[in-house]
Amino acid sequence: MTDASSPLRRPSLPRETALRVRMRRSGELAVKILSNPTTIFGFVIILLMLSMALFAPWLTTPNAPDPYQMPRDWGALRMPPGTPNHPLGTTNTGGDVLYGIIWGSRTSLQLSIIVVSVTVVIGTAIGSIAGMVGGKIDEILMRIVDVFLSIPELIFALAIAAILGPSFTNIILSLCLVFWVKYARIMRAQIILVKQNDYVDAARIMGDSRLNIYFRDILPNAATPVIVQATLDMGAIVLIGATLSFIGLAESGIAEWGVLVSEGQAGIASGRWWASTFPGLMIFLWALAFNLVGDGLRDALDPRTEGR
Amino acid sequence: MTRLQSSFTPDASKDGGTLLSVRDVAKHYPIRSGALQRVVGQVRAVDGVSFDIRRGETLGLVGESGCGKTTLGRLVSGLIAPTSGQTYYDLDSSSLAALDAAQTLPEAERHAALAAINAAHGIETMPIEAKNRFRRNCQMVFQDSFSSLNPRHLVIDLVGRPLRVHKEASGSDLTERVVELLEQVGLGRQHLYRYPHQFSGGQRQRISIARALALDPELIILDEPTSALDVSVQAQILNLLNDLQAERNLAYLFVTHDLSVVEHMADRIVTMYLGKVVEAGPTRSIFDASAHPYTRALMAAKLDLGPAGAASENKAVLDGAVPDPARPPRGCRFHTRCPVATAQCGWEIDDIVRILERHEALCDTLTDVTRESDFAGTLVFEDADAAQKMAAVLASEAVPQPFRDALELAETTGTKLRVRFRQAEDIKLTRRGPDHLAACVLG
Amino acid sequence: MSMEMSDTKSARPVTPVTIASVRGLKVHFQSKAGRVHAVDGVDFDVRDGETLGLVGETGCGKSVTGRAFLRLLPVPPGILAGGSVMFRPQTTCPDCQGDGCERCDDSGRRPAPCPKCRGQGCTTCDQTGIESLDLLTISDARMRDIRGDRIAMIFQDPSKALNPTLTIGEQLGEVFLQHRHADLLAAAGIAEDQPGWQASALRRLASQQDRGTDRLLVKLSGAMRRKHRAIRQALDERIAAALSETQIPNPQRVMQSFPHELSGGMRQRVMIAQALACDPDLIIADEPTTALDVTVQARILDLVRQLQTSRGSSVIYISHDLSVVRHICDRVAVMYAGRVVEIGDVEQLFTNPRHPYTQGLLAAVPTTRTPRGQLAAIPGSVPELIDPGPSCRFADRCAKAHGPCASHDPALQPVSAGHDVACFLEHPITTASRARA
Repeated sequence: MTDASSPLRRPSLPRETALRVRMRRSGELAVKILSNPTTIFGFVIILLMLSMALFAPWLTTPNAPDPYQMPRDWGALRMPPGTPNHPLGTTNTGGDVLYGIIWGSRTSLQLSIIVVSVTVVIGTAIGSIAGMVGGKIDEILMRIVDVFLSIPELIFALAIAAILGPSFTNIILSLCLVFWVKYARIMRAQIILVKQNDYVDAARIMGDSRLNIYFRDILPNAATPVIVQATLDMGAIVLIGATLSFIGLAESGIAEWGVLVSEGQAGIASGRWWASTFPGLMIFLWALAFNLVGDGLRDALDPRTEGR
Repeated sequence: MTRLQSSFTPDASKDGGTLLSVRDVAKHYPIRSGALQRVVGQVRAVDGVSFDIRRGETLGLVGESGCGKTTLGRLVSGLIAPTSGQTYYDLDSSSLAALDAAQTLPEAERHAALAAINAAHGIETMPIEAKNRFRRNCQMVFQDSFSSLNPRHLVIDLVGRPLRVHKEASGSDLTERVVELLEQVGLGRQHLYRYPHQFSGGQRQRISIARALALDPELIILDEPTSALDVSVQAQILNLLNDLQAERNLAYLFVTHDLSVVEHMADRIVTMYLGKVVEAGPTRSIFDASAHPYTRALMAAKLDLGPAGAASENKAVLDGAVPDPARPPRGCRFHTRCPVATAQCGWEIDDIVRILERHEALCDTLTDVTRESDFAGTLVFEDADAAQKMAAVLASEAVPQPFRDALELAETTGTKLRVRFRQAEDIKLTRRGPDHLAACVLG
Repeated sequence: MSMEMSDTKSARPVTPVTIASVRGLKVHFQSKAGRVHAVDGVDFDVRDGETLGLVGETGCGKSVTGRAFLRLLPVPPGILAGGSVMFRPQTTCPDCQGDGCERCDDSGRRPAPCPKCRGQGCTTCDQTGIESLDLLTISDARMRDIRGDRIAMIFQDPSKALNPTLTIGEQLGEVFLQHRHADLLAAAGIAEDQPGWQASALRRLASQQDRGTDRLLVKLSGAMRRKHRAIRQALDERIAAALSETQIPNPQRVMQSFPHELSGGMRQRVMIAQALACDPDLIIADEPTTALDVTVQARILDLVRQLQTSRGSSVIYISHDLSVVRHICDRVAVMYAGRVVEIGDVEQLFTNPRHPYTQGLLAAVPTTRTPRGQLAAIPGSVPELIDPGPSCRFADRCAKAHGPCASHDPALQPVSAGHDVACFLEHPITTASRARA
């Protein structure tokens, strides 16, 4: 800490309010996060992807009745990029690669948002219970977590998805079942760490309720690593989801990047690179973007540098 | 013992009465080991401590690190629950007398006698309304002002929080109350909307104090409040604490290792060693006529700004390390390091290892110990020579004179060495002067 | 050589020999808000055999100054912005071989002669004939030779300064292997320039520069094994001797323990043993007793004092605790906001402090005489040190601040023999210097 903002030095601004100060703090934090060029790069990619997902119905003509099904142009099979109406080419079965990419971004976004929000909530809840209550309950919960962690994520998700049958919904379900474990562990460790701070004792001494202490003192100070992990996982989940649909655990014919790569891979040997490459590139960019932003967040939210 | 103890409790008329009475409080932490986490021992952080805090006074709690003073502070505040014993809040003089009378009764009767007092005044057992009243009236200031202020809260939230919790104020009323509190600790309105990291160490400690004052408590537990501060800032904080005490008739429990600070601040002092109170009394008589050798050793080690030379040379400086609190020495716990120990101080078998382990390779060949009691048993060595050698050492200058005096028997048969020490009870606090108690066989 | 030296130096030094002198030392740190002038023009001398106290509050730059001696500063963000730290290594007196004679003032030690002119006096050594090293500019290799050997450091927190995965013996051994491998080899009967592949293999082993094959050789050859064992034994003896010198009971046992098995006081003794292992000329003790209990502190202070007197090393004792400094130091430099504000003998400084900051510090310590609640606190807190302008750094907390304090830098100037103060109250600013500023 330097005394740059030392109260002795700087006269206070007129009509300070808590809201204003908090807004300014958030602003400062945003500036700090965005001061890293690679983070900005990641943000830009994410924004482009998001707008692509958002404007999908305007960018392409949605397929009726289900826009998430690839439209088939049986008159233009295996066309290379640059073909009229099919700027990125078509697949073996006449699917438009551009359509697949644009609507695939919706699928990917759905996948990662659903999985991350479900698993973060479950993981935070379970980790919090383990960390806050401790004792036997902690022991039991953590042994369950250990069991889950001892199986590789991908194989576990694969097994569940295989049991449930091939569908995109089941991929989401299986990823939810796998990913909460990490958050539970991170959360528990953080809570045990934060609980040792004297401000928790101070709150207990003033007679505040345990729930209040959890929500006001413990959770906000424990959440940072979970937020960072969740950001990184936004990318990782699309990667794993694509892997699962690539090996055929999603319905064939849906607009999903992994499915597209899978459809296109047969033609790679005969020189039809485009059907796999463009969706593959999208998966790569998506994962990269969230990794960059996640790393940027980690640096900016690092408690050792926060507030300096 | 109890009668003497009650003499340490004040008569109510003089100082406005007793605020908090700690009676025979102990806190043991289990030591777990192995895959099944079985309890293999107990660390006796606090082991049977009794004292009173009076209204408007400063009680200093001193001792080395690991003596249990911080644990005791947390026990008194109700942050952690004692293993046994209890802290009583707001006893009138008749209950206090009844409480002390009950301590002498046998176990079974004591429970019955204490039931009523426990239910009304014991901070672990009192009803919720009474507990709330205690919560409001007993606050705490911590040593580390970084860790004791939530980094995500603004000063107004930090200081105003107790008021919100107890629904005392909200909105603009809350703001005004917080400003008032900040002004009392030398801060002001301009600091309301700042985060803790924007303040210096001394200012953060002021914020902590303002928060502790918010509910207008009767007692503040100060856990090393100035040890992380520079001396010039420490002086500011100590002055502030004194001013606040004078204004509000606050009682302080001042936990510290710094004797200069405690001498300056405290009305009475309690010295702790290995979880026990070894001496308690008014500050002046503790400093001028300390009755316990441990207190004297602490005083001797204290440096001041006076000229050097006369200081460290001829003063008795303590030897050795603090013994393991999981297995504290019998008798007087200080006897292993005491410069004036006697044969009555509770020498025991474990002292053989405690003293000789550091000196020679004698204990390396020790294979087994069978004990009849803590004071008698048989040491088994790998070879007869080692047993002979140990027997010789036990009778030599390598061990202190009182140790040899207390050793009633040391006979070798082959690889075995049978030893027996003089039996000794735990040393009780006895009266040394007005309001002054010490636990020492001497004097 | 001794004859030559007598030409350039008088038989007995009139003024005390200075072993190190700091001149205009500036250490800055780059932060986002600007350049923090952590140490901003510090001057002082360390005399041979004395204990110099460096006192001040948090952030006054005392630790940074101490670390600058060994270049243990993180660069960046640290910037060595200027100044010099001249160090004059000592050597065994060539006249008496360390027994003590007139020439060396019975200390058995004398400043090492300048390597360039062998004590004749040349431009490198400024005609003094004494070797002087600027610790801020010498090569990293030279610095490594000096660290732990000629200048040693004792840190505040021994539990952080000791490696938890190595035994005490292994850690202490490193110092000897680093700086005293020649001794160890000699003890095993190998001369420094003994030819042959066996000797060179052992030399490499002893100086911790062994190749994989050297260990194999030791394993295979019986003669090598014996020699190597002799080296290990000589090493163990030295470690045990170093430990027992700090009054550690049962050093054999302590050597085999890990740091966490020892108490705080014991660990600090190990640190001291490590620092003193090579008989350094200068020891920098950075708050060595702050983490310890008073009873342990008293013993450690006695120990430091005693070892320092018996060996004649110089000590820079960095502390925030005035009463400790009072008891252990010969001279004291009081630092405030990156500057030395007052320096003098401990007696002078404590009985007759001249700088308002020193006065304030002394008054702020609670004593038996101070009435409750009337400690003389210094108002405010330490100023920010980001790009400060010319002014007395203490001016905005000083009750006696007046005109020039806010606009001019006070310089350290003597008030009596050996007692310097940087304050305009003692040395009113002249119109000449006002004009210059």
